[in-house]
Amino acid sequence: MVSTEEKTEAGVEEPKSPETAGDEPDEAGESGSTRRLRRTAVVLLVVALVVAGAGFFVRAQQVRDTPATDNLALSDTEATTRVVGDVSNALGKVFSYGPQDTAGTKESAKQLLGGKALRQYAALFGQVEKQSRDQKLTLTTHVVHAGVSRLSGTGAHLLVFLDQVYERRGKPATTAAAQLSVTAELRDGHWRIVDIASR
Amino acid sequence: MARVRTTKNPLVVAAIVLTALAAGSAARGGWSWYEAGHDDSAGYGQTRDDALAAGEQAVQNLNTLDHQKLDQGLDSWEDSTTGDLHQQLVDGRSGFEKQIQEAKTVSTAKVLSGAVTELDDRTGKASVMVALRITVTAPRGKPAVKESRMLGRLTRTSEGWKLSALGQAPVGNTAG
Repeated sequence: MVSTEEKTEAGVEEPKSPETAGDEPDEAGESGSTRRLRRTAVVLLVVALVVAGAGFFVRAQQVRDTPATDNLALSDTEATTRVVGDVSNALGKVFSYGPQDTAGTKESAKQLLGGKALRQYAALFGQVEKQSRDQKLTLTTHVVHAGVSRLSGTGAHLLVFLDQVYERRGKPATTAAAQLSVTAELRDGHWRIVDIASR
Repeated sequence: MARVRTTKNPLVVAAIVLTALAAGSAARGGWSWYEAGHDDSAGYGQTRDDALAAGEQAVQNLNTLDHQKLDQGLDSWEDSTTGDLHQQLVDGRSGFEKQIQEAKTVSTAKVLSGAVTELDDRTGKASVMVALRITVTAPRGKPAVKESRMLGRLTRTSEGWKLSALGQAPVGNTAG
């Protein structure tokens, strides 16, 4: 009766208890110092294990949380392709216009740009419209190469090489190279350009 | 046997449970560490950053040349490259030397921005794009500054990433 009671009471400790208990009777009666020693040993063991466990966790975090692992550029291929696609598409749209369709370009800029990039763009666009109208200028921009230097869940930095084709009525088209550093933010599932710097 | 059960005091039970928990957390911590160390994405990110740093430095080296330190400059060209590009530079070295000694130019380059566009961790191949500003100073006249955009191929060697191909990103290919 006694033994079944014990079993149901503490099923978890069962396998260990016979061992521990087995030594107990001999020494228990003999010396309290042995018991104290063992208690100290157990405490030390627990402390050692806790310290080791914590240490391992900290090391694991250190290994994971380097700047290299925070940056998802290329390592997350899908997100990298997405941001390159969205940004290339946006640059192509906002830097392409003809004398007839500057309004459309302005509209798409509002969708595709944000923050500082939109303010700069808005400030410049009056000039662009006038120039395009007066000189019958058509600008077509193509992204020729784009690379992501930093990528997180919500932000990205890209380096973009562009070709810009200028066509004035009655003159041969000229192509200019441009290099831009672009900062983009993910908003509502789309990458929006928030800063552009010429390189 | 009766005495055996009496020694099972709450303290011993608590100690055993505590030890088991501590051992469990230590094991989990250890596993977490092991996993972190063998996480492919962590290694990949580091490789990408290494490749970019090496690529930017190599592109800068190959656009830097001082006619007064020709040997040093051309050695650095050779050290930064491997494969075909390396061979071209070795083969063309005496020609460059003569050219630069006559022109007495000093070229310096500053990398403005760079990005890795492709990386194959396994085969040790990568592509980089680099925007840089090159300043060429001739004995007479003002220094000529030009913005340049370059595409490079990198190959991993026993001494790290090196350029195996380098060229200007062409302008006008996509027009029309």
